[in-house]
Amino acid sequence: MKSCLIVDDSRMIRRVAGRIVKDLGFEVIEAVNGQEALDKCRISMPHAVLVDWAMPIMDGFDFVKKLRALPGGDAPTVVFCTSVRDVERIVEALAAGADEYIMKPFDSDIIESKFALAGLV
Amino acid sequence: MSDADRHGALSLNPSYYDALRRLTLELAGINLGSSHAFLVETRLSRLAREEGYGTLEAMVDELFKTGGSRLAVQVVTALTERDTHFFKDKTAFKRLEEIVLPDLQRKRGGGRIRLLSFGCASGQEPYGMAMLLHRMREQMGDMKVDIVGVDYPSQALDRAREGRYTHFDVQRGLPIQDLVDFFEAGKVDWVVKADIRNNVEFRDIHLLSKLDTLEDFHAVMFCGGLPHYSAPARVRVLRGLAGLVKENGYLILGEGESLSQMNFGFDRATNETGLYIKREMPVEPEIDETLKVPNGRTTFEKTSKRHKSLS
Repeated sequence: MKSCLIVDDSRMIRRVAGRIVKDLGFEVIEAVNGQEALDKCRISMPHAVLVDWAMPIMDGFDFVKKLRALPGGDAPTVVFCTSVRDVERIVEALAAGADEYIMKPFDSDIIESKFALAGLV
Repeated sequence: MSDADRHGALSLNPSYYDALRRLTLELAGINLGSSHAFLVETRLSRLAREEGYGTLEAMVDELFKTGGSRLAVQVVTALTERDTHFFKDKTAFKRLEEIVLPDLQRKRGGGRIRLLSFGCASGQEPYGMAMLLHRMREQMGDMKVDIVGVDYPSQALDRAREGRYTHFDVQRGLPIQDLVDFFEAGKVDWVVKADIRNNVEFRDIHLLSKLDTLEDFHAVMFCGGLPHYSAPARVRVLRGLAGLVKENGYLILGEGESLSQMNFGFDRATNETGLYIKREMPVEPEIDETLKVPNGRTTFEKTSKRHKSLS
């Protein structure tokens, strides 16, 4: 079974996104910030990462840059999931190594569509 | 299980549901199917609010009492509007990119070609064509492409003209790089950039009417609509489309859709169904009257004899 790491400091978002991703056939792993996510990736690299931008301790942008620098860190498909809808920030996220980008609020159609575009489903 | 059981109390007199189903079949050739009552409730309630009616029943009452054609078209359009999103039919776009456009480019080398999105709803399909062409601009060389989207007059088509899409619209089917490249963020919505928008023209048209107000096209894309039509309406639409496609031009249908038993002057372009190429019409040899001589011989015969005598 493919795994998806959901990185968000909001428990509600982790729960809602987790249910949608689970329905798409993924095993769900959670982290509350970028540092915890990075620690989990060092132990086992997930197939997909759904990551928020603004989080305490380590934000999503730093997390993605550090993830991509890890051995095997280029393998996971990274999808940002954030309320930031500014084009320049989207470009920054893609340059940092994100494959796709979701703007909150989202629904199951959006996550499924973005996962399909990223070749995950 | 009835619609009422499934979705709770319905607000219209039951006889209206059948009347609306018949109206839709008559005007648009589209069969709403057996569970159309819920569709009527959700789509027409919104239209009733937008048109300033106190209730859905008040709007439908007026429709059937006055027989207003403008309201009838609005009602039928609301009932038949298809849920669409960017690059919805991936197979059709793949065929456009990998077969149709390269072939047209190869055959014509340059000049101008015309593409039609038939039943374009809120415009994602023709804008998708324009985005695809932008990505293929080096391959397409000097070739200019005009894109036309047609559908019934509706608020969806008005939104298409503005190129304005919601947060949800731009996140279904549209790769994030395309959002960055081809859209601008408005205060609330996302708007297609002018250089893409200017490549696409939208026209109101009754899809079952005679299509002779439209010019010929080198390729017509018609995806997802065919299965909803009644059999006679399907023949009528396809016959109309056959008249719009230029010889050696393409008809691109949706995934799994086909011309079925009739060919309408098309041949399959590949082994799979869904992509058709318009046959060349046989050309009758033209007889040039000026070449005839009174005794029935042609100038060519005379020239031929003269040639023999000289040799």
